This record gives sequence, structure tokens and C-alpha cells, in this order.
Amino acid sequence: MMRVTTNSISDTLIYQIDRVSANEQKLENEATTGLAVQNPSDNPGAMRSILDLEAESSAVTQYQANITQLQQQATTASSAMQSLQSIISQASTIATEADGTTNQSDLNNYATQVSQLIQEAAQAMNTQFEGNYLFSGTLNSTPPYVVNQNSSGQVTSVAYQGNTSVPSIEVAAGTTLSVLPVGANTTGSGPGGLVTDSRTGADLFNHLISLQNDLLAGNASTINGADLSNLQNDSDNVTQQIATNGALQQRMTAEANIAQTQVASLSQLTSSQADSDLASVMTQLTQTQTAYQAAVQATVGFQDLQMSILNFLD
Amino acid sequence: MSLGLFQALTISARAMDTQQAGIAVTGNNLANVNNPNYSRQVLDISTSISVPTDIGMEGTGVQATGVQQIVSQALNSQIQSENSTASYWQTQQQALEFAQSDLGQQITSASSSSSDSSQGIASSLSDFFNELQNFSADPSSLSERQVLIGKASTLASQFNQVSQQLGALTSQLNDQLQTDVTNANQLLSDIAGLNQQISTEQIDTNSAPNDLMDMREQKLEDLANLVNFSVSSEANGSLDISIGGVQMVSGFNVTNTLSTYDAGGGQMLVEAGNGQTVTPLTLTGGSMAGEIDARDGSVATLNNNLNTLASQLITAVNTVHETGYGLNGTSKALFFTGSDASDIAVNTALVNDPSLIQASGTKGVTGDNTVALEMAQLANQLNPNLDNQTFGQSYDNTVATLGQSLSSASNEVSDQDTVQQMLSQQRSSISGVSLVEEMGNLSAYQTAYEASAHFMNAIDQMLQILVSLQSS
Repeated sequence: MMRVTTNSISDTLIYQIDRVSANEQKLENEATTGLAVQNPSDNPGAMRSILDLEAESSAVTQYQANITQLQQQATTASSAMQSLQSIISQASTIATEADGTTNQSDLNNYATQVSQLIQEAAQAMNTQFEGNYLFSGTLNSTPPYVVNQNSSGQVTSVAYQGNTSVPSIEVAAGTTLSVLPVGANTTGSGPGGLVTDSRTGADLFNHLISLQNDLLAGNASTINGADLSNLQNDSDNVTQQIATNGALQQRMTAEANIAQTQVASLSQLTSSQADSDLASVMTQLTQTQTAYQAAVQATVGFQDLQMSILNFLD
Repeated sequence: MSLGLFQALTISARAMDTQQAGIAVTGNNLANVNNPNYSRQVLDISTSISVPTDIGMEGTGVQATGVQQIVSQALNSQIQSENSTASYWQTQQQALEFAQSDLGQQITSASSSSSDSSQGIASSLSDFFNELQNFSADPSSLSERQVLIGKASTLASQFNQVSQQLGALTSQLNDQLQTDVTNANQLLSDIAGLNQQISTEQIDTNSAPNDLMDMREQKLEDLANLVNFSVSSEANGSLDISIGGVQMVSGFNVTNTLSTYDAGGGQMLVEAGNGQTVTPLTLTGGSMAGEIDARDGSVATLNNNLNTLASQLITAVNTVHETGYGLNGTSKALFFTGSDASDIAVNTALVNDPSLIQASGTKGVTGDNTVALEMAQLANQLNPNLDNQTFGQSYDNTVATLGQSLSSASNEVSDQDTVQQMLSQQRSSISGVSLVEEMGNLSAYQTAYEASAHFMNAIDQMLQILVSLQSS
């Protein structure tokens, strides 16, 4: 039999109470913070996963912001394209109406209206988004178009000041995307040109200037012929860009949905690693508290025992 | 003829003396019940020498022959060695807890509710790369440039801070080592002094000086907390001590003392010297070894990992940044200056004029974001110098590595706690004072004393009868 001494009992009691208290403190901490892992040493493996998951989640949240940015750009670009389409349609109407007109002063009026439309189109093309010009490619601090007029207010030329590259940004790890066309692209490759594109033959500003000049000159046949068909071509080009824009917006929505799902599932994964199982923690806490009370009770009992031997011998 | 009445008186007197001695030993035990260093003592009793008489050998009563200390030397030396181990892990645990808090990487809120519940370098790193994404979406914006500088500076200064705190931790461990060495030298000289006292008293009194031996045991255990050593005993009761194979105490003399030396680059180690020869020591247990191993182990690893991460980040970002052009066509500027975690900083030229940040791939085209985008995409790039991990993953791994070391140290401490508790129970069982036992002994001695007194009284009365017979 092991010899039991006075201090071995109290030492054991203190040791047990210490252990139970330490355990209780850990559980209480878990219960109050709701976290199973707080410090790396709590669970190094889980800590690693949590940090990785959080970094990933933070990156995806950033991609969501990037997507929103692109969506806004696309929406703004789309409304500029709609105005352009309406301008083309108005110019076509003028060309059609002017067909039967022989009165030069009427034709001059039409020409003035076309000059006006050119100005409007240039304005639409000079749309800005967050301080940057949407359609001048990466030269986006420069307005894409300047309209040159003669003294009588007729447009002589419209010059493109942008370039043919568009900035793309990341929408998912490794996937970059651009939603913008440029104003003019005569290189035969790269992003589409909204008003001028050698691949489709679109050259809106020059076609409008021709219409204006033909109206002034009364070239009825050209107005009704080449000018009208050129405008149709320009309109097709813009329609194509509007369609591309729509497709891109759909893709953005899809990317946004994917990102949202990703964030949700990442957060769930993180939560499964980091959050404490409250039900089990509370149960353990109750058990620990009971153990603590028992240990304290034992201390009191031990004291009684010590007193009784002394009383007995008294 | 048998022994006389006077001899009987002597028997009773000796018996009372012996019981009194027993009561004194019991009293001493009771007094020391709460002295943790005390080993209980028992009175050795034997019959006194028998005398040959006509009727055979006749007893002369009892005598106290000595006060014996109840100790187990084997248990004591086991306690010493477990002390060394426990103290080694406690020191490691403490140092790594400091390192963990220096790193400041904590999960602070339930992650289900927020995407960035972590703090520290992890979130700064994410913030920096996310801001590069924002920047790539609007590379000509001065305000985005300003924000980018802010995020990059936060990241850099967090690296600096952790690096500086880990440096402070290292020098703190060196200081602790120095203090431990001083204390160990003091203990060694105390033990040599006690060796002398114990040996002298043993010769003078021809009995073991129990209390001095308790005191020496305590010094040995204190020394074991600092460093692992081996003990051998001499015939005169002295204990010789050697550390790492070098004899430190021989009999009454301290033959070598400990000192620290710089093994290069501020890496303090321990050596033993006697004024002529100096021997570097390889320590295996105790807080000294704990300090050295924590400093050169986990803390150094953490520091190296952070330095590698910072230097790779500097190189990667600068390499891309250098290829770009600033808003005014400037080029070839560094983004980060410095070479590791201790001195990483955002190039002050850029801080003073964010338009110098080189985001564009084409000179003069301010809306071009190719370089900014390339910098942002570094976030997902696997780096061969970081074990083919991304910057973020490499950092997360560093955190987990430290966490693993601390967690192991804590487990060792907890296991060692249990071992020590068991050993202390065993020691208490062998050497501890039991009130119940002592109270029992007290009663026994008291009763025996009373009986001897009665006996003496009886003899006294008999003598008086004899004397009155003669006088009548």
C-alpha cells in the first residue's frame, strides 16, 4: 500500500483543481468567442487551412469588386451605344427624307441637322466612367474624338485620339476580361472599333460627314445610295457591339454568381474549421464545472478529516 | 546476583530519555509538515547492551541510536532529471508563446460572419494584392495610387515590427541564458560548500546531517532546473557534479565555472572554464538548453521564413514594377526597398509622389494597366523559392509551423507536469510527513514515557522501603 501523507492529499487536490480550472478556462474561452481556433498553437493544421481559406475568400471578394466594376463599365458603354444607334437611325431617316427633296435650303437644313448629329455622336463617344474616357483604349485620359468645324459650322473632320488596346482586369484567378470596344480600330485585329472598324467597313464619322457634304451639294443619288447603305453598315457594326456587350454582361453576371457561391462555400469551410461546436462545448463545460465542484468539495472533506484526527486525540 | 534497583532506575531514566527523543523527532516532523524540502525523520531505537548476570543476560533497557532521514536517492535523482526536462520544455513553451504573440496572427471573430477575421501579415498581404487589383482597374487614378502606397506601407511596417520583436525576443533569451549561467555558478559553489559542511559534521558528530542534506538536495533540484548534470558520490558524503562531461564540483571545490560566449552573430552559447582551459558545452536539458534551442530552433526558423518571404516579395514585385512606366513616363524605379523583413519599405520616392508608380506597359499610355495587373497576379504565382507556394500560402505555412512547435512544447509541458506530479507523490509517500502517523507516534511515545515514569516511581518506592528498613 502506498503511504498517504498529509501533503500528498492536498498536493493532489491542488493539482486536480489546477487541471480542471485550466480545462474550464479553455472551454469558457471557446464558448464566449465561439472559436475553436484562435492562436496558431490551438490547432496548427486548422490555422493553416483557415488562413489559406480566408486569403482565398478575400481574393474572391476582390474579384467580385472587379466584376462589379466591369459591369458598371459595360452598362455605361451600353447606353452610349444605344445613343449611337439612335443617332444613326436619325441620320438614316434624314437621308431617306432628303431623297425626294430638291429644295437646296431644305437640304441645307438637313445638313445642319447631320452636323448636329455628328456632334452628338462625338459626345456619346466621349462618355466618361469614373473620370476615364471609355472609348479611347488605354489612352483613357484623352477624349477619343475631337470634332473639327469650318466657320459656317459644318464638320470637316472627326479625329480619333485613342489607341487600339483596352485594359483588362482579373475576374477570377488567371482569367482577365475587358468589356470595352475602342472608338476606332483599323488594324484588322484586337478589340472591336465602335464607330470605325476596318473588318466590318464601319466608319461612322466619315460616313456622316459624307452625308452632310452630299446634302450640301445636293447629290441626291449618293445620299440615297452609298450614304444610306454605309449608314446601314455602321448601324450593323454598332448592333454587333451591343450584342457583344450584352453577352459580356451575361458573362459578368455568371462570374458574379460563381464568385458569390465561392465566397459562401469558403466561408462555410472556414467556419467548419474555426467555429467551435457550441453544443459540445457547453456540455463539456458543464461536466468540467461539476468536476471542479467535486474537487473543491473533496478539499473541504479533507480538511474535516484533518480536524477530526486532532479532535479525536484531544 | 541480578542487577540492582539502581540499575533499574537507570533503565527507566534511559527509557524516558529515549521517548523524549522520540517526541522531539515527532515534534520536528510535525513542525515541518508544510516544508516541501523536508524529508521526514525517524528515531532509531535499539536495546541497550545486555549485562551477563547469574541468571543469564539481563537487559538494560532501550537507547536512541540516531535520527534517520527517510529518503530515496534513486527517486531524488529521477526527480532531478525530470526537473531538467520539464524546465527545458517550459522555457521553450514560454519563448514560443512570445514568438506567437509577436507574430500577432490570431483569429478574432467567427469567420462565418466576416471574410477577414484574421489580422497580422496574412490580411495585410491580402489587402496589398487586392489593392493592386483595384489599382489595375484604374491605373491612372492618383487616389488609387495613394491607397496602394498605404496598403504596401502597412504590409512593410508589419514585417518590420514582427522582425524587430523577434530580434528583441532573441536578445531576451540571451539575457535569460546569462542570468541562468550566473545562478548555476552560484548553485555550484553552494553545493561545494554544503559538501564540505556535510563531510565535516559527519566526522564531528558521527551521524548524518539530515537538514544539510535536505538543503543540498534542494540546491541540486534548483540546478537541475537550469541545466542537466550528472552526480557521483564520494565516500565522505560529498557529491561531485559534472555538466556535459566536464567536472564542475569535485569534493569541496568548484573546479570549473560556466560562462557564455558568442559563437558568432550574437549566438550566445555556454562553456566551462577553470582559468586555463575552456570547453564549449552541449547542454541537453534545463532552461539553458531550452533558451538556446528555442532561439536557434523555432524562433530562428520563424525569423528566417519571414525574411525569405519578405525578400522574395521585394524581388518579385520589383522585377515586375521595373518594367513599367509611371504616369509621366518615368521608369526603372523600385517599388520596395530593403532586402528582408527587417528593412522592407516602400520606395520613398514613390511615397512622396505616387504618380511614379509604374503601372503602364507602354510609355506615355496612362490607361495601360499591364504592369499593374501583372503585379496583382503575383498573388497567385507559385514561387520556387517558397517551396512552390504563393506568398500567402508560404506565410500561412510559417504560422502553422510555429503553431506546431508551440503546440508540441505545450504537450510536452503538460506530459511532464503529470510525470512530476507522480514523482512528487512518490516522494511524498516515502519522505513526506503524515499528520496521522505523527499523532500516532506522539501518543505512543507519550504513553511509553508515562509507563517508564510509573516504573521509575515504583523503583523509587522500593528504594524508600529499603532505606526505611535500614534506619529503623
